[in-house]
Amino acid sequence: MNNIRKNRLKDQAFKVWGIFCTLLGLVLLAVFIGNILVDGIMRIDWEFVMNLPSRKPEKAGIYTALIGSIWVLLLTTLIALPIGIAAAIYLEEYSKKNKLATILEVNISNLAGVPSIIYGLLGLEVFVRILEMGASVLAGSFTLALLILPIVIVSTREALKAVPKSIRDASFAMGASKWQTVYHQLLPASFGGILTGIILALSRAVGETAPLIVIGALAYVPFAPSSPMDEFSVLPIQIFNWITRPQHGFVENAAAAIIILLLITFVMNGIAVYFRNKWQKKFK
Amino acid sequence: MSKEKKESVIESSIKRKYKLQAKDVKVWYGDFMAIKGISMDIKPNKVTAFIGPSGCGKSTFLRLFNRMNDYVDGFKMDGKINIDGSNINAKDINVELLRKQVGMVFQKPNPFPKSIFENVAYGLKIQGLKDKKFLEERVESSLKQVALWDEVKNDLNKSALALSGGQQQRLCIARTLAVEPSIILMDEPTSALDPISTAKIEELIYKLKDKYTIVIVTHNMQQASRISDNTAFFYLGELIEYDKTNKIFTNPEKQQTENYITGRFG
Amino acid sequence: MLNLEDHREILNQSGLEMFQLVRKQFIKSKEAFLNHDSDLAEEVLHTENRVNGMDLKLDRECERFIALHNPVASDLRFVLALRKINFDLERIGDHAYGISSYIVEVDTPVNKEVLEKLDFEEMYKAALSMLDDIRDAYKSGNAKKARKVFKKDKILNKINLKSFGVISEEVQKDPKLIDQYLLLFSVIKKIERVGDLITNIGEEIIFYLEAEVLKHRKKKGPSKSSK
Repeated sequence: MNNIRKNRLKDQAFKVWGIFCTLLGLVLLAVFIGNILVDGIMRIDWEFVMNLPSRKPEKAGIYTALIGSIWVLLLTTLIALPIGIAAAIYLEEYSKKNKLATILEVNISNLAGVPSIIYGLLGLEVFVRILEMGASVLAGSFTLALLILPIVIVSTREALKAVPKSIRDASFAMGASKWQTVYHQLLPASFGGILTGIILALSRAVGETAPLIVIGALAYVPFAPSSPMDEFSVLPIQIFNWITRPQHGFVENAAAAIIILLLITFVMNGIAVYFRNKWQKKFK
Repeated sequence: MSKEKKESVIESSIKRKYKLQAKDVKVWYGDFMAIKGISMDIKPNKVTAFIGPSGCGKSTFLRLFNRMNDYVDGFKMDGKINIDGSNINAKDINVELLRKQVGMVFQKPNPFPKSIFENVAYGLKIQGLKDKKFLEERVESSLKQVALWDEVKNDLNKSALALSGGQQQRLCIARTLAVEPSIILMDEPTSALDPISTAKIEELIYKLKDKYTIVIVTHNMQQASRISDNTAFFYLGELIEYDKTNKIFTNPEKQQTENYITGRFG
Repeated sequence: MLNLEDHREILNQSGLEMFQLVRKQFIKSKEAFLNHDSDLAEEVLHTENRVNGMDLKLDRECERFIALHNPVASDLRFVLALRKINFDLERIGDHAYGISSYIVEVDTPVNKEVLEKLDFEEMYKAALSMLDDIRDAYKSGNAKKARKVFKKDKILNKINLKSFGVISEEVQKDPKLIDQYLLLFSVIKKIERVGDLITNIGEEIIFYLEAEVLKHRKKKGPSKSSK
């Protein structure tokens, strides 16, 4: 009887510990968000969003950084998506599953863990200097595209792997070529998973600071970029910049900008979760 | 008539007599020899059943006829497989075209996660046939052939995955029929279904015999004896006996065959 | 749930039991007739119930075997043959019963000389040896033994044919004994029928063992080279 008692106690103990850990994370997050809200929510108004940066905190706005973030996000998507998805399709459906393929798979996963500043250095040398793009939106987008490429490839591959073999068998048995099978069956079936992967990758990209600083995204940019070759700034850099200023007003600004950045991130993640659920229902 | 000419006339008339032929076929998966030299001739418009214990090579042998083994790592083959007298492994053979002539139904129903209409029309769409009216007619006639039309005609846009198991399998058969093959290969088509769905599909197979040549792999002895004209018994990669179904089940020649069908082993 | 092999063995044994039962009936009826032993005849009459019971039991068992096991090939041929064999054995038992009931009804024993003229004992002996042959053929699964009975049946047929002439002669000699002679005539007919039934059983055994159907065909005895 003692054993059963012991097991029950262990069970209870773990339950308590689990609840504590979960609450710890949630509470800390709540405290952080609460803090930020308290500091910054008052500052947010239409002017704040539309104003250009300024020396005076009450006049400063996030307009250039916001537009810069949007530009970078769009271009990064345009670059990373086709390359990443195509690579994933090739690796998953076309290439032979030999030792080379395994090595490749491991290395791509590893790339996802490389510190982002390394990508910044790479971007600086290759895109800014060698390819002479300068410290432009284009260079920033290429750099970030490289950074999120492994994530796109891995999540696309996972989504493709999740499509049951029986679908491929059925398609081939009907006389479809590999490409027809990919285009008509696999991509539609894995669409939700691919989309989820992309959104998660992008929501990471939107928050990247270090690599963009390295390639030269400036903190004080008085104009919004109007072409891919323009100089630019992004929200995280703007936030960083404001935090380093001594005036108290800038702390408020930073908090407000953080709220907006969090909003963007939450919304993107929410969309990803929505699509993931929708996609899972398809295979029930 | 010269000797060579005479032989070729005989050979070509034999080839026309048989829809599917295998000549001393051997198959390896890597080092493992799955088929150890099998020759077999299958007549058109008949149902031929492949029976034998698990792992004896009957599914592998079946898949030779639509070259689905090509996708398996380490697959190697020797010997000839002929359909309508032509070697289907020749260099100039278009595999996709072959698979339109030779349809396949799998053990577990595998409809695409699309609508019923899309499923049946798929084979036609990938051939580039787009005319709406044509597709609709073909879909309707295929679904009628498998006795599914009345059940789904008002709901063709419903997801195929919402159908029951038996309906899904009939849908898979309809999808195969839509491209008008001449041969249908079935790999244990009813082993995942309940007895009533099984009976419906067996009835269907019996009807299809008129227009198609059917080869069916089955674990179910009674099914083989119910619906097939000829039965082939496989064991450990060899063809042990191949004869009229009636003969196999009343008085087989080989003791091994007798032992298997009476349940003494396997 | 009975395993197919065990179930088949049970059927086999039941078939053998039926053979033994009917054989005993036949022998007893012979003894009773030759010795005009009405007590022995009564025994045969009483045992008829057992024969009928065994017939019904075997029939039921065969039906059960088919329903439960869905037999094919030699299992199927076995049970199909057994049903027919059972039917024929029951008829043989009937004839033994019929012969015995006559003994009970008629008082006077038959004239030994007439019996000799008819080769009566020889006929009975041949029939009995056929019965033994066929039982052995069934027991040991031996088609050659089964084929032996086709030849021996010819003896019975010959004696049967001859009997008409002999009996009609005897009746003309002593018309008062016509009752006796009619009785004798019908007994001989019954034995001839038994011979036919035994050849039927032989056909069934050969069907089961060799999948050869000999019904309605000219039958040859075992050749020197047959298995």
